[in-house]
Amino acid sequence: MEDLDILEKKILSCKNIEEIEKIRIDIFGKKGVLAGEFIKLATLSAEEKKDFAQGLNTAKERLQTSFDSHYANLKKALLEEKLKSEKIDMSLYGGVSNKGALHPVAETMDKIIEYFVALNFSVENGPMVEDDFHNFEALNLPKHHPARDMQDTFYFGDSKLLRTHTSPVQIRKMLSSKPPIRMIAPGSVFRRDYDLTHTPMFHQVEGLVVEDKGEVSFANLKSILTDFLQHMFGSVEVRFRPSFFPFTEPSAEADISCIFCGGDGCRVCSHTGWLEVLGCGIVDPNVFKAVEYENVSGYAFGLGVERFAMLLHKIPDLRSLFEGDIRLLEQFR
Amino acid sequence: MIVTRNWLNEFIDIKETSDDELCVAFNAIGLELASIKKFNIPNKIVVGEIISCEKHPDADKLNVCSVDLGFGKRQIVCGAANVVYAKYVAVATIGAVMPDGLEIKPTKLRGVESDGMICSADELGLPSVGSGIMILDESIGELELGKDLSEFALLNDTLFELEITPNRGDCLSVYGVARDLSAYFGKDLIEIKEENISKKVKLGISREVALNINSEMDASVEIKLATQDSEHKLPLLCLIQLSAAGLFTQDNIQNMLQYIMHTTGIVLWAFDANYFKNDEDKINIDIDKTQDDLNIVKNSFGKTSIIGVSQDKDGIANAKTEQIILIAQYINPNILNDVISDKKIDKDPIFYNTSRGSNPNLESGILYATNILSKYEILDFYDGVLSHKVNIEDRTILIDCLELASIIGQDLDKSTVTSILSRLGFKVSSKIENVLGITIPQFRPDITNIQDIAEEVLRIIGIDTIEAKPLKIKENTHRDSKIFEYRLKKQIRNRAVASGFYETISYVFSDSSLQEKYDFDNLKSEFELLNPIVAELNTLRSTLLLNMLLSAKRNSNYSKKIIPLFEIGSVFDSDRVESQKIAFVWSGQRELENVSNHGKPSNMDMSTFLQKIGFAIGSFDLKSCSFKNALLHPYQSANIVIDNKVCGFVSKLHPQAQEDFDLSDTFMAEIDMSALAQKHILATEISKFQSNIKDLSILVDKDMSFANIKEIIEEIGCDKLHSFYPVDLYSDTSLGDKQSLTIRFVIQSLEKTLEDNELEEAMNKILDSLIQKAGAVLR
Repeated sequence: MEDLDILEKKILSCKNIEEIEKIRIDIFGKKGVLAGEFIKLATLSAEEKKDFAQGLNTAKERLQTSFDSHYANLKKALLEEKLKSEKIDMSLYGGVSNKGALHPVAETMDKIIEYFVALNFSVENGPMVEDDFHNFEALNLPKHHPARDMQDTFYFGDSKLLRTHTSPVQIRKMLSSKPPIRMIAPGSVFRRDYDLTHTPMFHQVEGLVVEDKGEVSFANLKSILTDFLQHMFGSVEVRFRPSFFPFTEPSAEADISCIFCGGDGCRVCSHTGWLEVLGCGIVDPNVFKAVEYENVSGYAFGLGVERFAMLLHKIPDLRSLFEGDIRLLEQFR
Repeated sequence: MIVTRNWLNEFIDIKETSDDELCVAFNAIGLELASIKKFNIPNKIVVGEIISCEKHPDADKLNVCSVDLGFGKRQIVCGAANVVYAKYVAVATIGAVMPDGLEIKPTKLRGVESDGMICSADELGLPSVGSGIMILDESIGELELGKDLSEFALLNDTLFELEITPNRGDCLSVYGVARDLSAYFGKDLIEIKEENISKKVKLGISREVALNINSEMDASVEIKLATQDSEHKLPLLCLIQLSAAGLFTQDNIQNMLQYIMHTTGIVLWAFDANYFKNDEDKINIDIDKTQDDLNIVKNSFGKTSIIGVSQDKDGIANAKTEQIILIAQYINPNILNDVISDKKIDKDPIFYNTSRGSNPNLESGILYATNILSKYEILDFYDGVLSHKVNIEDRTILIDCLELASIIGQDLDKSTVTSILSRLGFKVSSKIENVLGITIPQFRPDITNIQDIAEEVLRIIGIDTIEAKPLKIKENTHRDSKIFEYRLKKQIRNRAVASGFYETISYVFSDSSLQEKYDFDNLKSEFELLNPIVAELNTLRSTLLLNMLLSAKRNSNYSKKIIPLFEIGSVFDSDRVESQKIAFVWSGQRELENVSNHGKPSNMDMSTFLQKIGFAIGSFDLKSCSFKNALLHPYQSANIVIDNKVCGFVSKLHPQAQEDFDLSDTFMAEIDMSALAQKHILATEISKFQSNIKDLSILVDKDMSFANIKEIIEEIGCDKLHSFYPVDLYSDTSLGDKQSLTIRFVIQSLEKTLEDNELEEAMNKILDSLIQKAGAVLR
């Protein structure tokens, strides 16, 4: 048998799996060095046999250990090599998403709806093509009332019209169900106005709460709307100013402290420090009369979704919202 | 509505109130402040007296003036034509810096030295009062020569622009705004009183004017007769205030009327008395009511003016009119609007005021007019007045203060309510316990019930002082199916976004010629939009796709190469019935250029597009297309079928339309939202036994659609057939007009593992059917 050290050296000098496989056959194979040595056993006397066999086993063990560990090392090196060869520059693939985006107006509307749904408001809808009764008359806007001037209306040949606000949904809801009512009505509304700050279609969310007479007060309205506006805009101050809407009395407009300048005055808030964001009030008794409700009290509010979206996301141009401009939309991915 | 601090100060003492406090007050009481402007005349602009005025030797249009400034005389060259009539003027002295930044220096004009500038109102930053220099008079204060104009409080005024809501006709005057402020500040309103002005006594009016009045009138009138002294104009202060309010004109009579109307809120006409002269040269005025209920003023020749609406242009007094008839008028706006509503009548600007409610207190308005016009010697009045007053019963309502408190949500003390309402002009009397009797003044036709009163009280005590209180509600669910519809819609939108689409919102309007061009419905003429805003939006859309393709086109113009859009919205059929649809458009590339596609991404294809839609709306079937419009590709389009119902279509964009919209390869689909209802699913049993996959390749006619083959296979009703789907399609010239179709079948039993012969039996059954019904040949 060759010198054990030499054999061991042969094992350890293998540089790759193929070489070591060859060596394995040479040493441990059926016709290998060790097998040859074991054959010699047969020719030896019993006395010699014992010593020889013991020596041979020790040698085999030593060789096997060296082999196993070196084999494992080579295997590891091989895996390492393979892994290295699979290297890619991951940074090439970052920054790309094939996701689209929700429209900021629709997404803002979702956020508004979720707030009120969490407060157990129902979500109502109604037709866009309305009649004079639901859009005006029942809302205490009799024909040729000067307040109708506030809302330039689209009319059809059969004297129907495109709803100028979501308020007719209130009327439909009250006519079709009994109080108590706790609803919002999100939807598209239409006015004949088309310039930098007006589009002929825009979106509103309307709210209505009706309870027994004496239950609903202006203080309640202040409470929910202050919380709602802080939900939407964060920690802003909320201010209420008396105003006028034909369907509420008392009426008010709610302002938030300007989210751009913090109230110091800037271009967006026309240097007033305040941004007008919604209208509200206690439901006018004439509205209840129109739907034949008696002994009830209620509040109502309404807001423009585009205005909210533009303020929340600093969108500079109203008209761009209706143009499907991907340069705007992709920013909301 | 524009008011100024000094103008208001005529009716309420606000000298000690700062501009900021006024701004807060206006907003708090519901007279929204739209803008504020301060007039500050710069220093070194002083009162001067023109002592002499001679033509410039070398310039026709220039005058050389000698001006006394009190502390010395100056020679000033002036280009304004009206300098020749001027006595007291505003002189910018050397060193003065004008509002536009110009510094006044000694200069020579055509060789003549000029030591200062005689100013116009504009040059001083004041509202313009006509061309030429500003001629000072004592209306602004005592004209002490050399006194700085910045020290004249009346000139250095503050302008407030207020937005008056349509219910507050009573605040369309300085007096009305002052009345609201008096309630807010708790200060007395300074009422209009007769001023002791020595007037040239004239005859009584009834000696000159005959008035005939129809007793059925709805309108009240007060008539004064006067002669005009055309040399006198409204004083400077009034003209500046008028100009600040945007009402200044070159017509002295108009200025006078506007000033009185804007100050007091009464509506006033000035007629030439000759207009009313009859054949006998007597002034005869008929106040009458027409058959269609219009209240009119008529002359002897039947020419009419409609009270509260329009004055006959032929009768309007002007600067040359010698004898003037002033007619103050009031008509309840509710009556006026009712009568006017169904008539096409041209309306003067005053209709804005009368339709919202002008000041019904004609006596005080006439009093104000006679005071100011006599004082400034513009008109000499005849004694007395001719009037007709409509007897309107006072409206009184009973208000329970507890109910008032429950509307506002805060305890209210009876005396607070009484004091607020009294200052606002209501008459309040205390009844039993918490009840108040409230008489509504005529100038508040908008007030009819307790909630109106609540608003009056609320805006004066201030909404900000009300403590916010959450509403106590009885537990009661308001959830119904609509919230689930909303949630489903939101889910579909989110999935569409996840598969790459951008949500768009386009107008529900469309261009009828475009809809017609592409064979989409237009509204029947009787249902059509009467007053569209522009031609491109002249009807309601019957498809979402045209607006979306226009968006796609715009995006393509912005060099966008991947244009994936979806929209959920309403469309309208020709009977204008509204329904909700969802539409998808994908134009251009499938994805961006990137390393994986070596910078050459392929365009969108039908198969990928269908997968993308599937991510959003779930599974659907495709059957031969029954839709007909010019957007559809005749050979790449199909009906979308869900639950055996046709609910929309998918198509490649027709090459002609693709060219029209200037797009690259474009795919689109439009589907009824109602078809995407949330399904309630019952689970079926899952087999515990192995499933077997068998592929079948057959030759069929090229025209044979897979939908037909699918129908044939489904008709067999094989209970072991779990599912099947096409996996390959092949054709070449050797196959002629046939093609080879490979279908994969998944065969499985609920009861046992199937034996080979059972599988074969099932497959044979399928093949036999296909041979018989589809003319298939096994390949």
